[in-house]
Amino acid sequence: MVQGKREVCHLRSSVIFGSPMAVAERLVSPALYVSVFVIATSGLVYQLLSGTLASYVLGDSVAQFSFVIGLYLFAMGIGSWLSKFIERDLLVRFIEIELGLAIAGGLSAPLLFKIYAAAGAFKVALYGMVAIIGTLVGLEIPLLIRLLEFSLRLKDLVARVLTLDYVGALVGSVLFPSILLPKLGIHLTSVAFGMLNASVALIGTMLFPLPPGTALRLRLSCFAALGSLLFVGLALGDVVRASEQSYFGSPIVYTAQSPYQRVVMTRSARTTRLFLNGNLQFSSDDEHRYHEALVHPAVAALGAPPRRVLVLGGGDGLAVRELLRYPEIERITLVDLDQAVTDLFRDHELGRELNGGSLADPRVEIHNADAFLFLEASKESFDLAVVDFPDPGNYAVGKLYTDSFYLLLRERLGVRGLAVVQATSPAFARNTYWSIIATIESAGFRTVPYHAYVPSFGDWGFVLAGGPGLLQPTKLALSTEALRFLDEATLAQLFVFPKDSARPEGTVISRLNDQKLVPLYTTEWGDWAR
Amino acid sequence: MSSRRAFLQLVGGSFVLGQLAPPPRNIAGARLGASHEVGHRLLGSTGSAVGAPDEDERCDVAIVGGGVSGLSAAWRLGGRGLDVRVYELEPFVGGTSSSSDDGVVPHPWGAHYLPAPNLEARPALRLLESMGVLLGWDAAGRPRFDPRVLCHAPEERLFYRGAWHPGLAPREALEEEELAELGRFSDEVDALLERRGSDGRYYFQIPVALSSRDPEALALDRKTMAAWLDERGYVTPFLRWYVRYATLDDFGADPEDVSAWAGLHYFASRKLKTPELEASRYLVWPEGNGRLVRELGERSGASFRTGTLCRGVREEGREVELALEDAATGRARRVRARAAVLAVPAFVARRLVEAPEGVLPVRESSPWLVANLHVHRDIDPNHPWDSVLFGAAGLGYVDASHQLTPPRRDTVLTYFRAYGDADVRASRIALRDASWESLARSVFGDLAPAHPELVHATSRVDLVVWGHAMPRPRVGFLGARPFEERSQLGERTSYAHVDVAGLALFEEAQRSGVRAAEALAAPLGLELGESWC
Ligand SMILES: Cc1cc2nc3c(=O)[nH]c(=O)nc-3n(C[C@H](O)[C@H](O)[C@H](O)COP(=O)(O)OP(=O)(O)OC[C@H]3O[C@@H](n4cnc5c(N)ncnc54)[C@H](O)[C@@H]3O)c2cc1C
Repeated sequence: MVQGKREVCHLRSSVIFGSPMAVAERLVSPALYVSVFVIATSGLVYQLLSGTLASYVLGDSVAQFSFVIGLYLFAMGIGSWLSKFIERDLLVRFIEIELGLAIAGGLSAPLLFKIYAAAGAFKVALYGMVAIIGTLVGLEIPLLIRLLEFSLRLKDLVARVLTLDYVGALVGSVLFPSILLPKLGIHLTSVAFGMLNASVALIGTMLFPLPPGTALRLRLSCFAALGSLLFVGLALGDVVRASEQSYFGSPIVYTAQSPYQRVVMTRSARTTRLFLNGNLQFSSDDEHRYHEALVHPAVAALGAPPRRVLVLGGGDGLAVRELLRYPEIERITLVDLDQAVTDLFRDHELGRELNGGSLADPRVEIHNADAFLFLEASKESFDLAVVDFPDPGNYAVGKLYTDSFYLLLRERLGVRGLAVVQATSPAFARNTYWSIIATIESAGFRTVPYHAYVPSFGDWGFVLAGGPGLLQPTKLALSTEALRFLDEATLAQLFVFPKDSARPEGTVISRLNDQKLVPLYTTEWGDWAR
Repeated sequence: MSSRRAFLQLVGGSFVLGQLAPPPRNIAGARLGASHEVGHRLLGSTGSAVGAPDEDERCDVAIVGGGVSGLSAAWRLGGRGLDVRVYELEPFVGGTSSSSDDGVVPHPWGAHYLPAPNLEARPALRLLESMGVLLGWDAAGRPRFDPRVLCHAPEERLFYRGAWHPGLAPREALEEEELAELGRFSDEVDALLERRGSDGRYYFQIPVALSSRDPEALALDRKTMAAWLDERGYVTPFLRWYVRYATLDDFGADPEDVSAWAGLHYFASRKLKTPELEASRYLVWPEGNGRLVRELGERSGASFRTGTLCRGVREEGREVELALEDAATGRARRVRARAAVLAVPAFVARRLVEAPEGVLPVRESSPWLVANLHVHRDIDPNHPWDSVLFGAAGLGYVDASHQLTPPRRDTVLTYFRAYGDADVRASRIALRDASWESLARSVFGDLAPAHPELVHATSRVDLVVWGHAMPRPRVGFLGARPFEERSQLGERTSYAHVDVAGLALFEEAQRSGVRAAEALAAPLGLELGESWC
């Protein structure tokens, strides 16, 4: 305590006795007050960021917000208590702590998101981050009061500092949902506030009377922090920002965690979206394009409407909704691994609204099974198979894009039967798209590739796979009145590929023991995101 | 004292880590199998020890030893209405290729893969064809395998300097010099793969017996693999590790204690080249070669007498008399058969029978530790079959559920460790005396660099110590008259085991069993038709 007083005396004496930097020194107290305000605002923003991330990732937002807020306040208490151990160089410590806050807070959202994406120990990281930020903020206020100890009477000082603190918090809590989250998104808000903290620290190094060596060191650290935050901010890039805004911009209305994936549904005034493990599955405002393109060209290519249909994947019931438009269909066998998905779309109001209750239709039979195992075990024969799996982004789904899988599929199709397969984007992943087709062909299918534009996804690819008689369909097998996207003119266009997404040389065949599609897909989409 | 020192060596670097790692609390498990105590009842006896029998039984063919070689002999004789009986010491058949289905997924206790067999390994191809794993033959006469059985991608990964890398060679993490040497080595072994001797045969073939007798090839059996590497100037740490991993994996021996012929055989004997084998050429089932054991057993039509120790075999006129003992009760029994196959390691066989010179190739054998870890983990859609840790004491682990879809959270990981040091006896004694807990701890310690949390994800660790896991092909193992494959112990008794070839491979065990069975055609008065070999 005695040491601390000496430090402050030093500050005051330089103010009193004048120095070449007299103007700057008059700004010291105001600068400290601005710092209180910024720290209060950013502390609250970091807290809200953590709570939002936690409620998205872990679900149950009430619980997540109360844990995060509780832990944050507790950590502030720890910080306040720890402040008594800081006895010397209060100004230097103050700037250092502000810098620490800049880095911890600024990187918190990108880091936590990364850890979640890498399936790391998310909870540990989250609560650790909240505790660190809380502690740093908790350290700052007592230090400030001590720094300003002699400039005002205690009652005025406490009143001023705490008022600024609480007003700062209010500003943060108003800015966050109204401007920050919708405009900047989670990552950029985090990085921007980190940079704000670092800038305030930098200004401090210029205004505060510091020993020249120390000032230089602190200034360099500030620049380093600003630089790295700027780098992270830029590296996040447009793609991530865009997807994240759509992801977090709308409120989450449903979450479930199955053994296989995390199911998240968001809803805004305009659209409802489904995400599996963070990947967009559909957006209600344009899913009709995707599902009409998936189902109707295949039925058209069959000539006669099918009686028995197999749907692999597609637990959202949207392809089934399209199929049910054909009264001739007697039975639809839907095979989807994840009961969490089929339950949502069969029993939950949110799901039923989207698919018109298709999964509850008596003609639909749901199997929660692995498609590979189902095909191996099944003895049935189908007129049409609709194959709608997630893209081959890992080796587990990749098995469903191998020659072995397509051989099994072919065995389940009747003589005149055919399959339609969703096959990722020929625009973003041209080689992957055409290699899926090459793999299907290697299993003895004739193919007819086509694509459709789905705004949420971009240009999306499909392929018809059938026997030697398969031809490109020209006439839809139902009245197009009920459809929102397809008519005969549009149908004809689906089969035309522009030069830059036409079949390239050197496509590969994906087998179970090499799965060449997986690295191909990952690099192609990776290149696109870069 | 010496055994304590040996134990410390044995557990090696991982011993220290093992001490640091939390003790495997709340983890169930036991040391199972490999009944060395029962087996050691044979110590001191030198054949034909026949006690006073309580019971007598008769059969056509008695097979002693239910490993791959014994079962292959039974398989060869199957379908002819013969009364064939297999007498096996352990409570289960399969020997070093046995497996277990006690857990969420069946898992191996020893042999865990079969590389796509060479065309010359005809019994293996015949078995695979009857199983439907070999689907047919292409225009060039090469077999096509069911792709579902070939190891699914990704096959393997290496934990190297703190990170996992796909494959066994972490190309992006190696120094330029190491990469260059690796390239030189693979060019050299690729050339050896195609190399034929003056007799027109490949230098290295499976079956081993069809390899070239060219003196230049055989000269490789007169130096160690380590000496060969030195001679060729292979010095980088990564390459030396890579070769060590290979000789431990196949022979349970360090390069310093393995013939260069054997060491190079590992890299240069797999001849089959087809587009579908460009990626993984391993045939893999959850229970490993336990699947092949089951298929051989089922197809043989033989009956199995497990828990039965053979104490002696003797030809008596037109019969073979076997002295047997119930492993649990010690009760003696006598079997009279028209013919018999001894399919046990040579060091055991020599205590059961008076053998002609040179028929029983008694070999040094390598000790192994196999641990089956029953784990619960998060699903990783990119998990490989085989995970290897650079610089670890063991050979890493394979995931029993790798070939199954969909991916699952509960699985069994099979960890292997071979004790490659020249002092096999010390290792064997130390292993024999080690407790479950110290061995389990050494396993976690060895995997800790990559999986510090594994101990918390594991609910059960079962261990098997194979004191005599497999023959060790030391310098000179091919002998003065290589590739002779003598199997005749008497007029109506023949011998089969991987000891005959000296390399512990499924194809060799199978060939040896099939040949031993075919040698009995005359005394049994059978028309066995063309040889299956
Ligand atoms: C850990 C390990 C991993 C391996 N991995 C592979 C692999 O991946 N691929 C591969 O091809 N090979 C592998 N091998 C080699 C394997 O040993 C051979 O493939 C093959 O199983 C050997 O069969 P065998 O019948 O010749 O010998 P064994 O397996 O030794 O069979 C001999 C049998 O005789 C029984 N027996 C012994 N004494 C008596 C007696 N007195 N009375 C009655 N019965 C008796 C034994 O219990 C045993 O069942 C591995 C071996 C080990 C130990």
